[in-house]
Amino acid sequence: MILPILLLTPFAAGVFSALARTRRAMEIANLAAFSLAFVLALGIAKQVLDTGSVSLWGGFLYADHLSALVCLLTASVSLVCAVYAVGYLREDERSGAFGGDDPASTSQFRKYYTLTPLFVTSMFLVALAGNLGVMWVAIEATTLASVFLVTFYGKATSLEAAWKYAMIGGVGLSMALFGTVLAYYAGHHLAGTDTIAGLNWPVLARHAAQLDPTTMRLAFIMALLGYGTKAGLAPMHTWKPDAYSEAPVPAAAILSTAMLNCALYGLIRFYILTSRSVGPEFPGRLLLIFGLLSMGISVPFVLVQKNFRRLLAYHTIDHAGIMAMALGVGGKLAALGLMLHMTYHTVAKSLLFLCAGNVYQHYKTDLFDKVKGGVIHVIPATGAVFLMATLAIVGMPPFSLFQSEFLIVRAAFGAGLYLPTALFILFGTGIFAGAVLHVGGLVLGPASPEPVTPLVPWRDFSMLGLAAVLVIVAFWLPGPLLELIRGAANVVTGG
Amino acid sequence: MDLLHNPEFGDKLVTLMAAFVLVLQIAMVGQRSLVMNIRLFAAQSFLLGAIAGSIAWYNHAPHIFIAAGMTILLKAILVPIVLERLVDRIDIHHEIAPILNTPLSIMISGGLTLVAYLVGESFYHPEAGAASLGHNTLAVAISVFLIGFFMMINRRKALTQVLALLTLENGIFLAATCLTYGMPLIVELGVFFDVLVAVLVLGILVYRIRESFESMDVSKLRRLRG
Repeated sequence: MILPILLLTPFAAGVFSALARTRRAMEIANLAAFSLAFVLALGIAKQVLDTGSVSLWGGFLYADHLSALVCLLTASVSLVCAVYAVGYLREDERSGAFGGDDPASTSQFRKYYTLTPLFVTSMFLVALAGNLGVMWVAIEATTLASVFLVTFYGKATSLEAAWKYAMIGGVGLSMALFGTVLAYYAGHHLAGTDTIAGLNWPVLARHAAQLDPTTMRLAFIMALLGYGTKAGLAPMHTWKPDAYSEAPVPAAAILSTAMLNCALYGLIRFYILTSRSVGPEFPGRLLLIFGLLSMGISVPFVLVQKNFRRLLAYHTIDHAGIMAMALGVGGKLAALGLMLHMTYHTVAKSLLFLCAGNVYQHYKTDLFDKVKGGVIHVIPATGAVFLMATLAIVGMPPFSLFQSEFLIVRAAFGAGLYLPTALFILFGTGIFAGAVLHVGGLVLGPASPEPVTPLVPWRDFSMLGLAAVLVIVAFWLPGPLLELIRGAANVVTGG
Repeated sequence: MDLLHNPEFGDKLVTLMAAFVLVLQIAMVGQRSLVMNIRLFAAQSFLLGAIAGSIAWYNHAPHIFIAAGMTILLKAILVPIVLERLVDRIDIHHEIAPILNTPLSIMISGGLTLVAYLVGESFYHPEAGAASLGHNTLAVAISVFLIGFFMMINRRKALTQVLALLTLENGIFLAATCLTYGMPLIVELGVFFDVLVAVLVLGILVYRIRESFESMDVSKLRRLRG
């Protein structure tokens, strides 16, 4: 019974915040709900590790290792961001970003503390839906719940970003819906032809080899375009930098990590079905192409980027590409690399967003030119962590993204994909140069006359806590978590 | 002969209505008045509901009746009302300004229909026990889908893009109904819920874009680059 409680917890917090009158009540509701959700996600992980997979209400809800991992990552990010948001939004209110008067700022708080839990609820449903159709509904719901987070500050540019996000996302997801219809068509004549169970994951997975190959090919293309849009794979990535740079930072951090994981999760489910039906060659090649394209496209944008929040967005496009490529390579090693990468990327990228948020809030700008360097002298903790997280995300050892990227490269090389591997390394070098150059310039540099600013409670403590996690996972991964990641990789390869 | 119980007549009826769905889709490409476009969309959605209803009746699949009823209620009545009220609120009754002119747009739609027939042909397997009426209706569904895409690209105004997105969804609904006699009910309900929320969300966005840009021309939304 943990599964529905996990869905209900953030949902209840969202409803409560919509009705609450004071900021304090909303903050408490959010913090409590996300803490509870984190514990529940741990509970699901434990249950899955003990019993294999959990299914509830006739397969309406279903969790295996992969769903448990995605749930756990979503729950962790949303907990950290909930703590961060308390400090971030209070700082916003203090500095007058909400327009000053009291009712206006309460309505801003209400908007954030209502929409974020609903957004997280839909992400949990993505991972826990036992039915590919319900999974689609949940992914569409993530877009709908987060559109007004993108318009949060009500600027003209926020509207533009939200419009792009909603329209590109809407068109993309309509393709994914078509893909889902086709997958249902490919299997509806065998799956015991019970119309209720026809899209249920265990049923589809069991019969995957008998699914009609021609239909599954088309279904996969549609799902790749659709969920690829949501994951921000090139060339459907154009909404991403806009949405990430307009949304309030804690929401952007959730968008760029947990929601990316959810979109990839949808893609992985379709990949599993298709590779069993038509062989791994066809979906693998397509994923390789889209993955490499995403990595390649993000390189020039990272190199010449003027805005550090957009820099992070292009970085996320690059990492979506890396994960798509890892999925495309196939095989046990690449799947393990994919799952490790998903975990590590979630930690490092959300940390980067939090750092970028601190810098943005302090300097009131997200342009490199206007900050003029020297962040580490003014807000030392943020500056140091920003640099460290940047080194981690570009894959510098000893940080753990080096391990996962190395595994992926190793697997790709082992599979004889020499050209893609070479391109992977080339693009990785480009991203490395761009990111380190820009963030290095931002963080380091001459000391300014400005005095050192003290830590902001909630906001900075959550960032430091997450930084500690990043350092710890570089050297040590808890045994059960590693087991969960292995199990998730096994789900992908069908072991 | 009892037409109400003759499945062959049912097939023909469905195919005929599907053809009208396509005709309405192409009419929307050609029609330049916004309000008329919304009404054409309502008519198309009504026909979709009728198709779902006929399939439910002739194939004795009562669960599709629910989907049929929801389609008519939601897409043929509720969504058009919401959209027309929005048109009143933001006070724009003038024309849709497509990028390509009407004759060229209709030619392209014709070409897309041809493509859809070729695609539809390639994965139609009657021997696999699929719906017997999948043949023509599937091609129509793909055409509606592709033309919806084209409409989205071809239009500049925010509200007209929303309409194009909705017709695209209609194409998928048609595919789902005639390929597999509808999706599982729970999925169907979820999709309806999403469509409703999406229309509300996009409606609010359109309204706010209109307010802060003094225009609904989304080609003016180009401050964010690089």
